[in-house]
Amino acid sequence: MVMEYVFHILVITGIYIILTLSLNLIVGYTGLPDLGHGAFFAIGAYASSLLAINFGISPWIGLITGAFIAALAGCAIGVSSLRLKGDYFALVTFGFAFLIYEMSLNLVSVTRGPMGLPGIPQFTIFSFSFDSVFSSAILISIFVLITIFIISRIVNSPFGRVLRSIREDEIASEALGKNVAKHKLLAFITGALFAGIAGSLYAHYITFIDPSSFTVMESILILLMVIFGGMGSIAGSLVGATVLVVFPEILRFLGMPSGIAAPTRQMIYGLLLIILIIKRPQGLMGKFKLG
Amino acid sequence: MLEQFIINAIIVGSIYALIALGFTIIYRTVKFFHFAHGVVYTAGAYFAYTFFTFIHLPFALCFLLAMLLAAVLGIAIDKLVYSPLRIFKASNFVLLLASFGAFIFLQNLIGLIFGNQILVLNLGPVEEGYKIFSAVITPVQILILVVSILLMILLWIFIQKTKIGKAMRAVADDSLAASVVGINPDKIILASFALGSALAGAAGVLISLETNLTPVMGFSAILKGIIASVIGGVGSIPGALAGGFILGFAENLGIAFLPSEWKDFISFAILIVFLLVRPYGIFGTKTDKETV
Repeated sequence: MVMEYVFHILVITGIYIILTLSLNLIVGYTGLPDLGHGAFFAIGAYASSLLAINFGISPWIGLITGAFIAALAGCAIGVSSLRLKGDYFALVTFGFAFLIYEMSLNLVSVTRGPMGLPGIPQFTIFSFSFDSVFSSAILISIFVLITIFIISRIVNSPFGRVLRSIREDEIASEALGKNVAKHKLLAFITGALFAGIAGSLYAHYITFIDPSSFTVMESILILLMVIFGGMGSIAGSLVGATVLVVFPEILRFLGMPSGIAAPTRQMIYGLLLIILIIKRPQGLMGKFKLG
Repeated sequence: MLEQFIINAIIVGSIYALIALGFTIIYRTVKFFHFAHGVVYTAGAYFAYTFFTFIHLPFALCFLLAMLLAAVLGIAIDKLVYSPLRIFKASNFVLLLASFGAFIFLQNLIGLIFGNQILVLNLGPVEEGYKIFSAVITPVQILILVVSILLMILLWIFIQKTKIGKAMRAVADDSLAASVVGINPDKIILASFALGSALAGAAGVLISLETNLTPVMGFSAILKGIIASVIGGVGSIPGALAGGFILGFAENLGIAFLPSEWKDFISFAILIVFLLVRPYGIFGTKTDKETV
């Protein structure tokens, strides 16, 4: 029982690590102000679950499709609004996350609205089903390792160096002949793709999704993980996601009633966000200070 | 039916306009999205609720006290959160994030103190509404409308006629030039937060007469305020006013065709369309185009 709980936390941590790494690529490495990463998480989760429930499509194909649709949505947002200035782009991504949340809540005929989608099938390989927390933890760990590998390859490649140059000085990168718009768009789409994968992994692990997992606060929380761990730091994202997933569990062990624990946790998040921004804008392990 | 629709749209529009006006007054001076404006609105409602329900002060006094305390809260947010960030010339995105932090903190603080349940600010027994053609307007709605219009007129006089109002306009136009002619920018920032937050507090109290109080009420309110500002052109006072009413009409028109749960979806769709097609808003000009 205790081990199951520990492994469950491990799985959730793994999913948040994928989300945090992918958002770090967008915000930390490329410097794009994204306030709506949860939207792509939701798209991946809903797309994959709906395919599996309504058409009996394998979760693996659902995962690929969900990631693809998330990337497509990222492409649409990127193409239409990356030209806007910082806070206006942030507003578009925030608005998009809210629209996706509202759709999951109100499109009852498709998503069953607040009742949620139960009975999402789990991942299987041949006859082996990832139905225990232990096997799921192994599966998620593999995906986390793949994500770490790919994101670190991206940021250490010539492409990644252009991303960082855009973050530091967009005009100078443009002057050096780099296609800034294309690089920004690719970084944004890649981040969206990985968030879609995380969404599908989450849905097929937890087997029940409802809109409450995809509120706009979720996007802020993922961003807090990025900032806390450190902008533009892979190790930082691992630490940020782990600490902020495990920390609320500690509050639970302190025996706080949930009516007090929930707002207390949120208050600490809010306060943490302000203190980090003012006192340590580079986060725990980041090299890049939040401008 | 049509008359009822127009009345509903005007009432909700006047609340949106009040929020958008307060937001705009602050935006014009500091030039970033003060998201925590929404929680000042919530706090205003809860201040009035506390004075009215626990201390039994007359409602008009509760209303003024709520505006005053909302102004104090707005100034406190500026001093504690934004001031340190202004020193290192933080980007707009960073200020917006800090604002989110303040919003989340205060909203949950209110939730912790008052609980998450719905509270009612009850002025007295529900009175029968007056009939205007086929539409019904309740005395409370008339109060909301009259007070909001009064506040808008007072705001206009303040901005146009008083010395500090003129200084605020000068800073909004060109803060560097304003400081050259001897206007103290810190004083204007203080005045803007006080004035804008008082308006938010007033809007919060007014809406809690019509609906109920919940700790999360400020979230959708500030979103509507921002959307109204974007529609009118961020930073434009007539724009905020018009944007508020346009949004009120658009939402009510929308739910004539769609179920009412889609209200927020409609206003967000409007926001996205405006940001993509005309991010400088209806009242924005070519020069405002540079800022988006």
